[in-house]
Amino acid sequence: MDRNTRVLVQGITGKEGSFHTGLMLSYGTKVVAGVSPGKGGSQVHGVPVYDTVEEALKEHEVDASIVFVPARFAVNAAYEAVDSGIRLVVVVTEHIPVVDVARVVKYARERGTRVIGPNCPGVIVPEETLIGIMPTRAFRRGKIGIVSRSGTLTYEVAEILKEYGQSTVIGIGGDPIVGTTMQEVVEMFDRDPETEKIVVIGEIGGTMEEQVAKMKKEGKIKKEIVAYIAGSTAPREKRMGHAGAVVYMGMGTYESKVSAFKETGIKIAKTPYEIKDLI
Amino acid sequence: MKLYEFEGKYLFSRVGIKVPKGVLTTGHVDWKGTAVVKAQVLEGSRGKRGLVKVTDDVNSAIDELKKEGIEKVLVEEFVPHDREIYVSALMDRDTGEPMVIASRHGGIDVESSKDLYKRVIPMERGVMPYDVIAFEKYLEVKGLDAVIKGLYSLVVDYDAELAEINPLAVTSSGLVALDSKVILDDNALYKHEDLLKELGRSYSPDSYVELEGDVGIIGNGAGLTMATMDLVKLLGGNPADFMDVGGGADAERVRYCVEKVGSNPRVKKIIINIYGGITRCDDVARGIVEAYSKVNKPIFVRLVGTNEEEGWKILQGHGIKVYNNALDAVRDALR
Repeated sequence: MDRNTRVLVQGITGKEGSFHTGLMLSYGTKVVAGVSPGKGGSQVHGVPVYDTVEEALKEHEVDASIVFVPARFAVNAAYEAVDSGIRLVVVVTEHIPVVDVARVVKYARERGTRVIGPNCPGVIVPEETLIGIMPTRAFRRGKIGIVSRSGTLTYEVAEILKEYGQSTVIGIGGDPIVGTTMQEVVEMFDRDPETEKIVVIGEIGGTMEEQVAKMKKEGKIKKEIVAYIAGSTAPREKRMGHAGAVVYMGMGTYESKVSAFKETGIKIAKTPYEIKDLI
Repeated sequence: MKLYEFEGKYLFSRVGIKVPKGVLTTGHVDWKGTAVVKAQVLEGSRGKRGLVKVTDDVNSAIDELKKEGIEKVLVEEFVPHDREIYVSALMDRDTGEPMVIASRHGGIDVESSKDLYKRVIPMERGVMPYDVIAFEKYLEVKGLDAVIKGLYSLVVDYDAELAEINPLAVTSSGLVALDSKVILDDNALYKHEDLLKELGRSYSPDSYVELEGDVGIIGNGAGLTMATMDLVKLLGGNPADFMDVGGGADAERVRYCVEKVGSNPRVKKIIINIYGGITRCDDVARGIVEAYSKVNKPIFVRLVGTNEEEGWKILQGHGIKVYNNALDAVRDALR
């Protein structure tokens, strides 16, 4: 992803879609087209709008799509992007049923499309492009790769690390099932020549953090990782805001994640503010 | 949305899982013979709290529960059984497919059990006879077909995040679900409006989670709010709640959140941690100010991001403490 990445916005005429299209354009993102069923022929911030992805692709070449469509229709938008052969689909939308997410994520994977999200702030390559909703003030081009299950906490950490700058920041989303896992992003950062160190922002629930620890332990990840896990004070079986931040059957507790990281020598910050000292 | 036991059992019978004969009541019932009288509350460990009674004197048991403030009571036939086992189904986060979990020991705390059998059953094919055989062999029972298919259907067709039978009784006339724990996916409730109507439940999901401490916590974004809770604990305080105002909250939403957190009698002070992106600091400030006079408790606000200066002005104009840095806000609040 760089300044030449051509982006399609699905749900461009909605409140969120049009607002963030404006912000992405002013950051320099190449938004080439938008889709909103029934709104074909109109324009948003000078970007042409089409009724379907298929129609948009007849007129434009597109490398990635970002979905702002409301939850009930977001799955339709994601399938549409996958079927049109778009290789990267960022789903910002929150509150999609988990069974539906599981189905579309699998469908995309089998067809070679990478989904990021849902329920995520997207991706930013500072000073190159933004495919997401991150407030750009927190970011500066640099050498740290950040992967996070959270939104605002990511902005907070990015700003704390602003003097070092970031290579790429990816919010993978707060849902129980996501299109791109923390492990996959950490692997990509490990291969990425622009990234020197990796910051992992996890939270309770699921086992992605444990699996990152396992990869580090097995020597599959060479670069240094600093991690922060939110939710040390969260009670069991209570959902902490994110659909994915919940511990069922004792899986994915704070303690389990911290002990997995400790075993592998991954440094754990007790607060987001401590990340700066550890890096 | 967590269902009551009787609601979960209603779903069980709908998907073909056998449950004891019973009646839901708020008063006395006409009952002969031994019954199990169970308080219908959403919290767990009812047994330990004396909220489940096996008795011949059903109406006295109901009276006792009513004295405890229990509203609804489920009275069920006592089901004699040889063994108790455990079966549940949920979405497996790693594979993105439903998973069925079984244990030879029912009535247990599954978290601590090492004796578990887990099997991922892909949605593409659904439950097959050979899946059922595998569970029957492990559990050493017969006739599991309806139970496995029923729980699986609750996950796939009813959007249950968790569908659990603990315990499942092994009786001479088959398998009977003695308890139910069903949690529906909040995000999927719109697909099941008919069911909610039948159950007489309306549900508006809110992020609010009450905890035991005395420091009210409000943030924007789940991660940042959790991190604020954790920070308070780390610096020697005790969080009273988790409350995420959500993305792009307006003044009205913020007012509601501050009043909700402030109305908890245990809360002595409130910490609000906002990093404005889509959420605008001036909106947040207006919401806080509106709630401030009503709540009448000290509020410490960390406020940065979109329209920050405007937000600061509004808060300072009403004598509310504002900070740039969350650490300073929390330290001051805990002083």
